[in-house]
Amino acid sequence: MFKNFIFSFLIFVISCTGFVQSQTPDWNEETNIYESISNVPLKLINGKEIFLHQLAAEKPLIVALIFTRCTGVCSPLLFQLMENLQNISSGKDNQYSVLVISFDPFDSLKDMRLMAQRIELDNNQQWQFAITDSINRLNASVGFYPVWNDEIKQFDHDALLVGVNSDGYITKKLIGLRNEKEIRLLISSINNVFSPTYRLPNPNNLFSCFNYDPATGKNTPGLGLIFIALPAVISFSLVIGIRFWVKRKAFR
Amino acid sequence: MENILLKKNTAFWIITILVLFVLSIILGIIMRLNQGAIIHLSAVTFYTDMTTHGLTMIGIWFVAGMAGINFIMERYVRTSYLANLLALIFTIAGIVMLWASTLVGNFHAGWTFLYPLPFKIMWSAWATPLFLFSLTAFGVGWLIWCLSLVTALLKKYSIPQVFAWQHFKKNPKVETPPFVLISMISLVGIITCLIAAVVLLVLLFSEYYSNGSFMNDALLLKNLTYFFGHTLANEMLYLGLAILYELFSEISGQPKWKTTWYVALAWNFTLIFILTAFFHHLYMDFVQPEGFQIIGQIASYSASLPAAGVTVFSVIVSVFRKKVNWSLSNLLFFIGVVGWVIGGIGAVIDATISNNFVLHNTLWVPAHFHTYNALGNVLFSLAFFYWFSKHYTNSKTNDRFSTLKLLFIVVGGIGFLLAFYVGGADSIPRRYSDYPEAFTSAKMLATIGAAFASVYLIGIFILFVNISNRCLKILFSRS
Amino acid sequence: MQNSLLLLFLILTGIIIVIFTYVFLSSKRDEQIQTGMQKALQKRFWFILILFIVLAIFASITIPKSPYFIFADEQPAKIIHVASKQFYFIMSDQAIDPENPTGESLIELNANELVEFRVTSLDVNHGFAIYNSANELIAQIQAMPGYVNRLRWKFTEPGNYDVYCLEYCGMAHHVMKTSFIVK
Repeated sequence: MFKNFIFSFLIFVISCTGFVQSQTPDWNEETNIYESISNVPLKLINGKEIFLHQLAAEKPLIVALIFTRCTGVCSPLLFQLMENLQNISSGKDNQYSVLVISFDPFDSLKDMRLMAQRIELDNNQQWQFAITDSINRLNASVGFYPVWNDEIKQFDHDALLVGVNSDGYITKKLIGLRNEKEIRLLISSINNVFSPTYRLPNPNNLFSCFNYDPATGKNTPGLGLIFIALPAVISFSLVIGIRFWVKRKAFR
Repeated sequence: MENILLKKNTAFWIITILVLFVLSIILGIIMRLNQGAIIHLSAVTFYTDMTTHGLTMIGIWFVAGMAGINFIMERYVRTSYLANLLALIFTIAGIVMLWASTLVGNFHAGWTFLYPLPFKIMWSAWATPLFLFSLTAFGVGWLIWCLSLVTALLKKYSIPQVFAWQHFKKNPKVETPPFVLISMISLVGIITCLIAAVVLLVLLFSEYYSNGSFMNDALLLKNLTYFFGHTLANEMLYLGLAILYELFSEISGQPKWKTTWYVALAWNFTLIFILTAFFHHLYMDFVQPEGFQIIGQIASYSASLPAAGVTVFSVIVSVFRKKVNWSLSNLLFFIGVVGWVIGGIGAVIDATISNNFVLHNTLWVPAHFHTYNALGNVLFSLAFFYWFSKHYTNSKTNDRFSTLKLLFIVVGGIGFLLAFYVGGADSIPRRYSDYPEAFTSAKMLATIGAAFASVYLIGIFILFVNISNRCLKILFSRS
Repeated sequence: MQNSLLLLFLILTGIIIVIFTYVFLSSKRDEQIQTGMQKALQKRFWFILILFIVLAIFASITIPKSPYFIFADEQPAKIIHVASKQFYFIMSDQAIDPENPTGESLIELNANELVEFRVTSLDVNHGFAIYNSANELIAQIQAMPGYVNRLRWKFTEPGNYDVYCLEYCGMAHHVMKTSFIVK
């Protein structure tokens, strides 16, 4: 009993550190779910031309929308995704490949190739870099609306990751820089693993019962769970304690 | 000397419980009358009525079981009179605070007071803390009482003995009486759920007095609420069974029941299962992990196995083709067992996740728990009350109209419960002060329920007059 | 479904009452022969074993039918977001912003199409129970603040469906209602 107790506490502490880093998600994340992503023609940096749905049919996709001249969130988005994915082993229900698409019409295939080389992902089988000539259609289908800011010569835009399953449907969206746990949730969603619930983040909730772990599809115990186990632990200890106490008193 | 005090205290408990019982039944009938559109209450009045009815009923039948086992436990070990008195004082203080917060302060979050409902103030602002303080009073008083009884048992029996583990081997040297075993099993369960209540109250108070800087998690608090509420409601039934194990054979004029290996095993299992069965209250909260939901279903099924297999079978064995001196007491026990089993069937049906999907929070729920309370646990406690009042006033004469009283209780009970079951099958929601027009049968069923509940009340009232008359004599006698 | 459960319950109750009445009468009738039950321990063993097997079969049949597992491997054709509040429901096929919740007044779903309801609460615990046009409860889920619960359901019959709140949420709990249409 005590072993479980300490174990669940440790798990909580570990999972908690991951939880704190996450940002509050945008409610736009809930839009366009289970809609079909626009089946745009893609030009990949390896020279291949393919439709998006065809690519998704090979392996479910994590789509990242960026532009190469970006001085803002695009690089951190890719770096963090890269880092998070390193910790996620690939399994049967864990299939994915990452598709990085430029939403800037001025980006050429060469720009994308340079970018891929810069972050040393040009030879990684899991990662594809592409441009498309139908970017507006794609943007609209995922609810992504970058705005050109002429002053700073940059797009104002969200850091968006879109999960697309092998049927070409959007299963989940993540806006902002997100932690490994949420990336796992994204990957399980594109593999059509149904989880009947998810939690709305609230920094005030200290004692939640469970933290959902999409890697295993299970909930790991949170601090709150200790409160559920605590009464039984206390009362059984009380029984033992009382017996010990009355015996010692009788002995004296 | 101590024994006389305990006797008087028990008599006082009985009178208090019966008075509150009659009042709470009336509250219940008022609710059904309002649902049947025979009378018209405001929604707030209805829901304060509902909150009062629920908590008072759970409270009094829990202390009824406790008062019973405390009194009988004195046969085996010396119990603390002070703890008994303290519990009585705390219980009455709690009831007064509870009724003030609901009937005066209009607090109406239901007995479940699911977080964050108590903090969405729709009543006098002082009613929420007063309500929480009333629960604290119950919690503290009952916890002290349970711990003192456990201490009393542990002074005489070692831990393996008190749980009857020596009975797993052949020819045990010491016998643990079934009463001691079941009392201990129930008391440990009760202490556990009372600690859950303490944790729940600490978390609620923390949020209430933190001015918004501390927020609770709704899922955790729902788990804790049912850990406390469900387990308490379940364990109080076992207190009644402990009394049955002790008194049924005695009143029937048969040799005393003995602990055997299967009795010991069954009750030890019950202790474990009962602590996770409450998960079945959260089946429709899909946020609870599926593993817990399945544990909930299996634990709910398993909890019924040993108790039914051992207790029900024991009762049948001791009656089937045996000479039984039937009196009102053991008839109440016997009928109580039937009610308990039938309520258990309703409960097992509802504790099945795929059934709960269409039965959760419909009238099926009050249907089954009223079955094993109104026609189960209440009858166990009434059997004890009746036996106690007769035994200690040396009244040898049999009460007249015993059969009539039973008939009122049973017929009234069955009609009242059937209206609930049929309502549950008609998808009628529970806890509705008025029914929307779409529920065509609801109003008629409520009226039928109220009518039969009144018949039940008549039976209870006659019994109440008999028993409390004699208990008053015990209370004011010199010895 | 509910009616067959009621029938099952009544049959089992009938059996219990018959057994107990028989046992009770046997204690009164056989004044001379007080034999009691023969081989009680053996019978008890068989009784518990049979009860155990019946419950185990019942559990293994019903658990896979639990609402968490139904339609889990299908792709929903439509998502309906539900935000519940004292004492009304907001439903929308768009995500609902909790700061500024707005929904659509008319929700239309297609028959035989998988719908996913994403249910949450903006204040206290509520219920989200779907009643068909015959006013039978067909599916339900709880709405808990801080969490989104997902209910998947395929409506087979067109008609008007009502939604009632089935978790007590305060003084107007019984008027908390909404509806949608299945075509």
